[in-house]
Amino acid sequence: MITANETQSWLDSHGKLSLPGSELTWLSSQRSAALEHFESVGLPGVRDEDWRYTNLRALKSNDYQLTSQSSLSIELAPTDNPRLVFVDGLLDKKASTGISDNITRLQDSFSQVENEFGSTLPKNQHGFTALNTAYAQDGYVLNLDAGQVLDRVLEIVFVSQSADTVSHTRNLIIAGANSQCTIVERHIGADGIVYLSNIVTEIIAGDNAHVDHYKIQQESNDAFHMGGVFINQAKSSNVKNHNIALSGLVTRNDIATNLLGQGAHMEMNGLVVGQGRQHIDNHTEVNHAVPNCTSDEYYKTVLDDHSRSVFRGRIIVAEDAQLTNADQQNNNLLLSANAEADCKPQLEIYADDVKCSHGATVGQLDPVSLFYLKSRGINEASANALLTFAFANEVIERINVESVRQELTHLIAGELLSGLEELV
Amino acid sequence: MLKVTNLHASVDGKAILNGINLEVKPGEVHAIMGPNGSGKSTLSNVISGRDGYEVTEGSIEYLGKDLLELEAEERACEGIFLAFQYPVEIPGVSNMAMLKAAMNSIRKYHEQEEIKAGEFLKLIREKADLVEMKQEFLKRSVNEGFSGGEKKRNEILQMAMLEPKLALLDETDSGLDIDALKIVSNGVNALRSPERSMVLVTHYQRLLDYIVPDYVHVLANGKIVKSGDKSLALELEAKGYSWIEGLSEAS
Ligand SMILES: Nc1ncnc2c1ncn2[C@@H]1O[C@H](COP(=O)(O)OP(=O)(O)O)[C@@H](O)[C@H]1O
Ligand SMILES: [Mg+2]
Repeated sequence: MITANETQSWLDSHGKLSLPGSELTWLSSQRSAALEHFESVGLPGVRDEDWRYTNLRALKSNDYQLTSQSSLSIELAPTDNPRLVFVDGLLDKKASTGISDNITRLQDSFSQVENEFGSTLPKNQHGFTALNTAYAQDGYVLNLDAGQVLDRVLEIVFVSQSADTVSHTRNLIIAGANSQCTIVERHIGADGIVYLSNIVTEIIAGDNAHVDHYKIQQESNDAFHMGGVFINQAKSSNVKNHNIALSGLVTRNDIATNLLGQGAHMEMNGLVVGQGRQHIDNHTEVNHAVPNCTSDEYYKTVLDDHSRSVFRGRIIVAEDAQLTNADQQNNNLLLSANAEADCKPQLEIYADDVKCSHGATVGQLDPVSLFYLKSRGINEASANALLTFAFANEVIERINVESVRQELTHLIAGELLSGLEELV
Repeated sequence: MLKVTNLHASVDGKAILNGINLEVKPGEVHAIMGPNGSGKSTLSNVISGRDGYEVTEGSIEYLGKDLLELEAEERACEGIFLAFQYPVEIPGVSNMAMLKAAMNSIRKYHEQEEIKAGEFLKLIREKADLVEMKQEFLKRSVNEGFSGGEKKRNEILQMAMLEPKLALLDETDSGLDIDALKIVSNGVNALRSPERSMVLVTHYQRLLDYIVPDYVHVLANGKIVKSGDKSLALELEAKGYSWIEGLSEAS
């Protein structure tokens, strides 16, 4: 449990900040409301039911400075896509390409997002989300007009390179009616440094908008990542969130969608690969508020060493939301006897004419399959990798960006399938 | 090529093989017949190095090496292939990917270069034709949703690709209709060569009409109780396995 002292010291360390956009009254009032909320809830603790398995002692034992502008100190692979690079939470203009009327940084765009900023956030949000609203100073804003199609993947790279810093980044994807876009967020950090990345992406999908959103989390092994993806979906919209967590010391993601217009579809895909003492906690929520919506959730977790994962999948079907079709699967593969996966499906169904299914499994690699591969000449390590890949591949296959699919194939299967990515 | 001497093996302390002697020379095809539960699969599994079996006595020599010293994957790299009685489904990995991984592992073991993508594709298409497998099956996950016959054909396809020196075929005929049996047998016959030996494990004589063995052995209660040429299979078919039970008790 957070003590008053702890809360106060967080506020003190943030107090001196002069935030961009402070001249906007709507923003100032959101910020002070968020601060008030934070003061009342504090940082989460294991006594909160939603944080029962996720211990933040290590996070709380460190002090974090708010970040200031610095320029990118690592080299990124070249890309043909528009790419925004944020360093310690602030846009590095020089390192970025493709900034346009539609693709901007939040600092420059507060005045254009009054209706959207904060519109997707849950009422009972936890302290990190509140802190994010109170202190967000930058992030990306993708604002698509009706019918606009982004024909290139929009790449966003968040780089943390300064030790003992905290960044509160807020992103907004505002997809007008019939618009289409694909966004790949990548979160990376310099090795060996401790920092806290507290980041929220809001997605507002208009009628029949198609949004394909990827989040690839590759933070430093000592880093803390508190992430939120909050979504509002209008009628017939189609949103896919791919939550790929590959490193970081403690990761928490809250991913929630509100299906607010008939015919909306949400796909939530998750791939967690845990090693060492990594802890990855994913809380998802699909809120079927109106009839005739569909949701399809597929999370796969692979845990090695002493890593731990938590999955909570909440599906709420409102009384009016007849003809809802919701599916949720969460499969966990333990590669080590010391790894642990906790999963908690939570279905709250108030309508009667609905189709809701869910399944959760925890298992190990199948020894007969292992022998099968070995009997074909594949050594133990490679056979393990191939079967692990086979397990993960059902989620990897759902990835529509070829380069990401290939990257994950290589990451999990190693050299074994190199050059074969299209055949697997 | 293969010399099994006085092999005893047990599972969880339960003796299953009780002194098997078997010698297979290059190019020979041996059939091992026997009632259900006589130890046929156990013998194939022990030769191919599956975990969970304890060899309590005896030895297996393969190409002059002590086979029991090798891991399953090393045995495969040395040229031993087991066609499974129950082929395993691996959702998420395509037939092609598995086979390419297997070929390259074996090549690496022999310090050879990886196979080129073009060469691999040409080869796998050719071998798929051999077992009359449609190309689209190559891209499908290993055995996932395959019928019994398709799985068995897939085993033969793998064997054709990996070109083993010693192939153990565990009930490759079981569950096949006559057309599938012919396809599988044609595939196997096409792979017969003076350097390649085969051990066919089967419950029924029918397979041996299509793949004619040089020797037939009858296994009962973990022991070879009778050996002969292909006429032994016919005799067994006529007299039934109860005849063997008598032999086994007598021995
Ligand atoms: N893993 C195992 N655990 C216990 N008993 C086994 C195991 N594998 C085989 N057996 C037993 O060993 C005997 C021989 O089995 P198996 O080799 O499969 O026979 P076959 O292939 O000739 O039908 C059977 O009695 C079977 O129940
Ligand atoms: Mg058997």
